[in-house]
Amino acid sequence: MGLMDQVELPKPVKYVFNWGRKYSLWCFNFGLACCAIEFIAASTSRHDFIRHGVIPFAHGPRQADLLVVSGTLTDKMAPAVKRLYEEMPEPKYVISFGSCANCGGPYWDSYSVTKGVDQVIPVDVYVPGCPPRPEALLDGIIALQDRIQKESLKERIAGRRLDPITLGADTPLVSDSSPALPSGGGAT
Amino acid sequence: MTDVLARKDRALSPEETEALLRDRLGDQVVGSTVEFGTFTLHIAPSGWHAAAQLCRDESLLAYDMFDCLFGIDAREEGFDVVAVLYSTSVGTRICLRTRCEGGRDAPVCPSITDVYRGADWMERETYDMFGIDFEGHPSVEPRLLTVENFEGWPLRKDFHLTSRVAKSWPGVKEPAELDDEGNVIERIPEVGDAPGPYDLDKAMAEQARAINKPELDEGDADQDEADKDASAAKDDGDERPATEIDQETFDKLIAEGKSERIARSKAKAAFMKKQKAAAAAGDAPAEAEAEDAPTDGIDKETFDRLIAEGKSERIARSKAKAAFIKKQRAAEAADADDTDAAEGAPPDQDVEVAEQADESADAEVEATEEEPAKAPADEEPTAAEKAEARRKEQAEARKRKAEERAAEAEAGDADGDEPTQGPDDEEGQA
Repeated sequence: MGLMDQVELPKPVKYVFNWGRKYSLWCFNFGLACCAIEFIAASTSRHDFIRHGVIPFAHGPRQADLLVVSGTLTDKMAPAVKRLYEEMPEPKYVISFGSCANCGGPYWDSYSVTKGVDQVIPVDVYVPGCPPRPEALLDGIIALQDRIQKESLKERIAGRRLDPITLGADTPLVSDSSPALPSGGGAT
Repeated sequence: MTDVLARKDRALSPEETEALLRDRLGDQVVGSTVEFGTFTLHIAPSGWHAAAQLCRDESLLAYDMFDCLFGIDAREEGFDVVAVLYSTSVGTRICLRTRCEGGRDAPVCPSITDVYRGADWMERETYDMFGIDFEGHPSVEPRLLTVENFEGWPLRKDFHLTSRVAKSWPGVKEPAELDDEGNVIERIPEVGDAPGPYDLDKAMAEQARAINKPELDEGDADQDEADKDASAAKDDGDERPATEIDQETFDKLIAEGKSERIARSKAKAAFMKKQKAAAAAGDAPAEAEAEDAPTDGIDKETFDRLIAEGKSERIARSKAKAAFIKKQRAAEAADADDTDAAEGAPPDQDVEVAEQADESADAEVEATEEEPAKAPADEEPTAAEKAEARRKEQAEARKRKAEERAAEAEAGDADGDEPTQGPDDEEGQA
């Protein structure tokens, strides 16, 4: 990473740098259940999140920036998710897609289902729904891109993360993604 | 073409299959059923392996495809294992079912892995979910479906879901839930509750009760009746002896040739009904007394006002009592004033006394709210006593209801009516 994790970039450089990062999110899909179908629908021609700069189906976690956990995570599968997440290079982002990945969903009382992927790995954006529509995933991606635009890479690499975004709870569902310069220093 | 397609017309019928397997296995074949188009052959555990082998190798059967294998929790009897086999040559399916040896504690079943390789993981999954050990299996450990250090057997009926212990299921668990007295538990869904087919539940519960009625009536109901009577006699002392029956009805029924037990029960019901009717007509003003008694030492006006304001009865009563005391003291003070007018007693005294009375009343309210059982004993009907009386009344009513129901059931049984006779019919006749 060189100096990236040592110094805070000057504002204009950071703007351009983050702009570049947010539109080339290589996405690693951890499809576990029916939500994975919605993810695939979001990647295909009708919804087509490639137009947002998200490149689906990365060859492996080592080439990916974004991990989308879509579906029911079981206790048996949890170590695999953790391992693949750890294989991803920093800076890395996680979208928890669907009720099961968020909190266990309809399997809240199951003997085998993990009550949310955030028990295993840190999550940046929660997309609620059972399953959420592809538009919801697009919205989650845009919310994440907003965050990437504003963040400081130094802070990110140092592991200081902002609080996760829950779509529909604390942010408007339609986010403002106008490419304005971040007002503050970026990092908080 | 015909050689490729499965030829069902060449297949043995279930009867023929059973006859063939009985011929080969003898009494290892315990029984057979054909349900929902599935032929199930029940096998003793000792013949389990041989049966699977036979099904595969016998040319007339030729069940060459292993479909699946799973366990069933048979409650007290232990566990069952079912294997489903398919014949690709004739296109028929057979279920082999066996009851594991070892009961619930250590269920064990012979493995058929050496007959069908596909049974390997199926048996491991069955081990995972039910804890059934498979004798002759290469290795059922490590656990396949659950995490390796998982404790318990999730598909056993006695397995507890920890999440459900922390927060119980927010609806009716079984379609026919009855309370201790056999009433259908009706749950009116509140906002935020999970939606459920409540009407359907109720209908199913009624049905279940109708079906279960006859056998319940034979011995248990009367036994319960007797128990209840005994406990009632214990509770109420001599208030309502168990021998109170309607002699007329009793004699009539005996004359009709009913058994004494039934006659007694019915006569009792008749007696109760009569008594109730009498009470309704006003001959038994016990309840009215209970209602009126506590209003003695209180200020009726204040009480009514507070009740109208929506206060609880206890608080209203207490405050009214305070008001009553205040008034009484005021009256006394007024008398004193009259007598002591010449002495020039301070006129503020009344107010002070009244205030003191009010304060003490407030304190009393607090005390009774905190510990209703320790309410001051010098007051006429304390909150505890009242609660006791109310509880007694409720118990009485509940007992009466249960008895009537039992008697009705008897009536339905004795008259040879359909057991589905609802409780309302009898009520209407009365």
